[in-house]
Amino acid sequence: MACIDDKGNLTPTARSILTTIRSEAKTIEEIAGEAGQPLFKVRSSLRDMKSMGFVKEVADNQFIMEEKVSKLLNK
Amino acid sequence: MSEVLNQNQLKSEEPRALPRIGSKAPQFEAVTTHGTIRLEDYKGSWLVLFSHPADFTPVCTTEFVAFQSIYPKLREMNTELLGLSIDSVYSHIAWVRTIEEKLGVKIEFPIIADLDKEVATKYGMLMPEESKTEAVRAVFVIDDKQTVRAIIYYPMTAGRNMDEIVRLIQALQTSDEKGVATPANWRPGDKVIVPPPATQEMAEERVKDNGVECIDWFLCKKDI
Repeated sequence: MACIDDKGNLTPTARSILTTIRSEAKTIEEIAGEAGQPLFKVRSSLRDMKSMGFVKEVADNQFIMEEKVSKLLNK
Repeated sequence: MSEVLNQNQLKSEEPRALPRIGSKAPQFEAVTTHGTIRLEDYKGSWLVLFSHPADFTPVCTTEFVAFQSIYPKLREMNTELLGLSIDSVYSHIAWVRTIEEKLGVKIEFPIIADLDKEVATKYGMLMPEESKTEAVRAVFVIDDKQTVRAIIYYPMTAGRNMDEIVRLIQALQTSDEKGVATPANWRPGDKVIVPPPATQEMAEERVKDNGVECIDWFLCKKDI
């Protein structure tokens, strides 16, 4: 689930997920509900973004955006 | 030497055991038109995992348009769609773009590019007597706990019936929620079947029960 496009911008899916966990850690189910994305898309996107250092898992099944990604999100 | 080769060949052509109804669905990680997806990503949702023989073929094209037409209804039923064929992701992308351009239908669900046949082999989607290079039309209904709940196989020449796929999932979810079974040709709103009594005493009670409609002690229906 690529989260960055060829121009270095966040994909719409990545953007919608990151927006929900910008300042507060949330569960996958909460993110899916708020971002309007199916569970499978949220799980695969978070895995991708975790490997890129865009998000971190703060507790079991709870994710928050890394501060350094704010620039990309505001782009 | 040739005998050893023949034995190895035979070994590699032995069909693998298929997943069975009630068994845990085999896990996989696969490249799809929506990126890399694992089966475990679908935990909490029902999933229709289906294979088709090949991109850019006529029956498969009609099926994809039909699968897309039931996708919103399936999503309302907490059910996702995941297609599969032994084609590259670039072929899948080109095909879904062609479907959108020529038929005006945007395919919104992911499609596995199973070039190494790993997922098709795990799920018994390859039937060498039918084709050595293409998957048959298999449908696996996997529930929210990742258990295989139903399996349907169609040959290459016959397109699947989408109404039946939706009906099947409605029947399975109703059985789970209400602890009942569904009769032949059941549709939501129809009467459901009450599980048959397990003892003679329960059978006697069942026929006296005014809340159910019994033809005999073992065949009783009720509204839900």
